[in-house]
Amino acid sequence: MKISNKFLFAVFLTGFSIYLVFALNPEGASRILLNLLTFAGIYGLSAIGLNVHFGWTGLLNFGHASFMGVGAYVTLILMPHAAGREGEITSTGLPFIVALIIGILSAALFGLLLGLPAIRLRGDYLAIVTIAAAEIFRLLVRDLESITGGVYGIINYTENLQQYRPNFINNFSESLGFSPSQAWVCLVAWISILFTVLFLKRLNNSPWGRALRAVREDEDAVRAMGKNAVWLKLQSFMLGAGIAGLSGVLLAFNYGSLETTVFVPLLTFYVWAIMILGGVGTITGPIFGSIIFWVIISETDRLAFILFENANGQQLAGVRFLLVGLLIMALMIFRPSGLLGKKEELLLDVK
Amino acid sequence: MLDQLGNGLLLGIIISVASVALSLLYGVTRIVNFAHGEIIALGAIMTLFFSSPVDYRVLFLDKYSPLGYNFALSCILAVIVCGLFGALLEICLFRPLRKGNVGNIAVLVVTIGLSIFIRHLYLLFATGKVQDFPLELQRRQTYLFFDMTPRNLNVLIAGIVVMLIFGFLLTYTRLGKAMRAVRDSEELSSVSGINSDNIILITWISSSMLAGLAGIFQAIINDVRWNMGFLILLLIFAGTVLGGIGTSFGAMVGGFLIGILVQVSVGLPFMEGHTEAKNAVALAIMILILLFRPQGIFGQKERIS
Repeated sequence: MKISNKFLFAVFLTGFSIYLVFALNPEGASRILLNLLTFAGIYGLSAIGLNVHFGWTGLLNFGHASFMGVGAYVTLILMPHAAGREGEITSTGLPFIVALIIGILSAALFGLLLGLPAIRLRGDYLAIVTIAAAEIFRLLVRDLESITGGVYGIINYTENLQQYRPNFINNFSESLGFSPSQAWVCLVAWISILFTVLFLKRLNNSPWGRALRAVREDEDAVRAMGKNAVWLKLQSFMLGAGIAGLSGVLLAFNYGSLETTVFVPLLTFYVWAIMILGGVGTITGPIFGSIIFWVIISETDRLAFILFENANGQQLAGVRFLLVGLLIMALMIFRPSGLLGKKEELLLDVK
Repeated sequence: MLDQLGNGLLLGIIISVASVALSLLYGVTRIVNFAHGEIIALGAIMTLFFSSPVDYRVLFLDKYSPLGYNFALSCILAVIVCGLFGALLEICLFRPLRKGNVGNIAVLVVTIGLSIFIRHLYLLFATGKVQDFPLELQRRQTYLFFDMTPRNLNVLIAGIVVMLIFGFLLTYTRLGKAMRAVRDSEELSSVSGINSDNIILITWISSSMLAGLAGIFQAIINDVRWNMGFLILLLIFAGTVLGGIGTSFGAMVGGFLIGILVQVSVGLPFMEGHTEAKNAVALAIMILILLFRPQGIFGQKERIS
């Protein structure tokens, strides 16, 4: 396999940003690194799913947070948990793996549902529909307090995953001063990424993957070749949504409690920034994009403390999002193909 | 249900004015502007800055005193600032993108980044708190069959008058004609001697001024928040889509319909105790409209695909 210069550069930049974490944080660097690698794994996985939508098929999906949300909520509700204002306990439930699979399938099903408009709508309209559908989902989850816990959220579910934590994680975390539960989530996230990437690589080279990319390039040509473009789009929507669902579940396990405020549109925009940074249409791009993105995010707190003395939480978050907005703009203007993407594979105009 | 009609009309006027602005911009430039909400918030924040009493230091890092101008003057100044801001965006950002042949989808993503950026500038440097305009409290009165304060009634009337004047200008002046020509084909209009750059600049300015006005209305009726524009953005999209993207009259009616639907849906039996979900009703209507009648109520089919 030929390794391109772009790839080497991405590896170098990722390595350099991890080095920066160590250089900037003389103390506790490994703990910060674990935290950001966990987030990077989860968001990277989500961005890989988004890339199936936008990068491969050219579907302008701005409701990605809702796919993550469906996966997370369905999985958690099926397992033992506590929810709502009173912390009502549900002590019986399915085992983690079964609940996870149902959660991922539900996310894919929601993708199918949301994908139905994609049959009729042009790119920019689809963007509006998906972001609106994601908001509807969030408002409904917020309102259905008896099932989802509403604004009070869901708690006491982490044990469902943590009970499978192997012993070596405990020993390893103890020696490095990590939180063993986060180390386990981190490991699961990166194993998920590994399998997803292998799976997508296989798909990408299959006739199905080629047909998908052909839909992005020229839908009419796909039809002329006797392929069902609509069904291909829907399959793409389901696949990407399923991957997002998995990342949503992991996100819930990383947070330790699940609230509707997690799935605001800004989550989608984070994932978009990661996807563009890594390279639209690539498979491994979002991994590099995600790590670099989270290094930037986790080090912006310094910037906030330069701008404001005694910056409060609102100001820290504000500076982060300021940078995210700037990053999205700058990337889209100056380097829309990101680190690894190919410009000719980028869908930038409405079809 | 009817008691919500007054609130519906007030939400309607905000969405309506903002939808006309969004629709105008989309019609001429084909930009789906996600940063529209931030221009709306700018109108409200600038009005607050111009009109608040001088000793009232809450804006802009608490460092700068507001100017304490007369309220009407403040509104006019704020609308002008919004127009200038729109011009700035067009000249510094969107014109270079257009000249560089950056595609529609890329520009859409740029407006999303811009929206996030500006919104958090407001949060950091303008106002992190919910604030009200320095206006005295008024009691609600009943007009015909709806309740609202006299000030809000004035807002309603002013908004309708502004939109009618605007619609008249768009339909009957040379400028309006030129705008429609650029909308239909930038190249053909350039060939016929229309300076399309200038027309697009004027479009940005007028769209931003209208958006700023909508923000002032929103702030008078409710309050000033850093994210007020983003909160209402999807409803504005819904209003625009419902009326038919690219038609000013459609956007006006669509905006009112969405506003009334949102507020009236609070009174529906199954919505009891679920007032937060009222926006979901409007968004669901928008999705249905896009699925079954993408040209909206007043749009023409050929403008869609």
